[in-house]
Amino acid sequence: MSETHGHHPKPKTPTEQRVEAIEALLVERGLITSDVVDAIVETYERDVGPMNGARVVARAWADPEYRARLLDDGTRAVGELGFGGAEGEHLVVLENTEDVHNVVVCTLCSCYPWPVLGLPPQWYKSSAYRSRMVREPRAVLDEFGTSVADDVELRVWDSSAEVRYMVLPLAPDDVTDRSEDELAGLVTRDHMIGVVR
Amino acid sequence: MDGVHDMGGMHGFGEVERKDDATVFHEPWEGRTFGLMIATGATGLRSGSIRPGIEAIDPATYLGSSYFERWARSVESGLLDAGSLTSAEINDRVASPEPPRAHQDDTNPELARRLIGALVDRPREPSGDDVPGHFAVGDSVTVKRMAPAGHHRCPRYVRGATGTVTRLPGGWPHADDDEPPEATYTVRFAMTDLWGSDAEPGWLYIDLWERYLA
Repeated sequence: MSETHGHHPKPKTPTEQRVEAIEALLVERGLITSDVVDAIVETYERDVGPMNGARVVARAWADPEYRARLLDDGTRAVGELGFGGAEGEHLVVLENTEDVHNVVVCTLCSCYPWPVLGLPPQWYKSSAYRSRMVREPRAVLDEFGTSVADDVELRVWDSSAEVRYMVLPLAPDDVTDRSEDELAGLVTRDHMIGVVR
Repeated sequence: MDGVHDMGGMHGFGEVERKDDATVFHEPWEGRTFGLMIATGATGLRSGSIRPGIEAIDPATYLGSSYFERWARSVESGLLDAGSLTSAEINDRVASPEPPRAHQDDTNPELARRLIGALVDRPREPSGDDVPGHFAVGDSVTVKRMAPAGHHRCPRYVRGATGTVTRLPGGWPHADDDEPPEATYTVRFAMTDLWGSDAEPGWLYIDLWERYLA
């Protein structure tokens, strides 16, 4: 986008300068066009994000048969709602219950289920989250304001290979009184990572 | 390789900081980095995959960089490896920044459509091949002690520990693109078997390629 070359309130960092130089060189040689880069950026700023996962969760809360399909084969079930693609080629959905709480991390990098959650937040990629979630999950959850009772089984999922994981949070008590749209509005990204219960 | 990226269980990184965490790209260059990563990978302008490039960053730089800074370095090294650009060319342009001198208004809507289509293409079935493996659900497996120099996905903190296979997700080429597909296993470990008797109660699940297991 041409705006990136225009007015800037603060000096450009070395990385920012290099990225701009790389794009300028690739464009002037006819190797890429900036509209292609724009389209990729806009897709993940606008179309692919946690609102997709929230629709999946709302459907699962509202429709027990969909819930069963989602837990049996997450990839196909989110595909029914139109979601899928890069970093969602093999999706496994983890069910929270009164007795079980799931939380997802990637200790080696930042593996994350893009089609349903979009790109990960900064903290998910941070050294603190990656190092600690596998060793002291309850302490980390406490920092998110999430208290998991001692008698609830805690399951931490380190997404290290090809499977991507998403948490199906507990439904609210009044789930049957609410529309699917209302239910989707209750679901946050943090619920689907598992840092909020 | 066993690098500083393998952070599971380490001490010293402090509390998890959360700020402005609904924003996908905090600066325009972060979005450009992401878009360039996808576009140059899909068009063959960049060689290698992004993770080994990140893991090759020296440890002090890795720890001192943001995630998008690491991606930017890996994109650059992939472009250099593929011969698409040279360091000298990039350095020169950084020293004398200017917009593209040609083709600046070119567009390629067909390529944009194709790349976006591939990014959000719904698979008909989950990825993973049905390949034979040595272990079954319920089997007890021990992660080998090892120190692999190549790209791998076996964090240090599970090595030597014994867990139970809970699921067979399927087979994929090993992380270093080593064909053919090899079975992977979802393995459950008791936290006490990873971190000692004073560990928090609970379970750790991780997907491991067969070559890591005995």
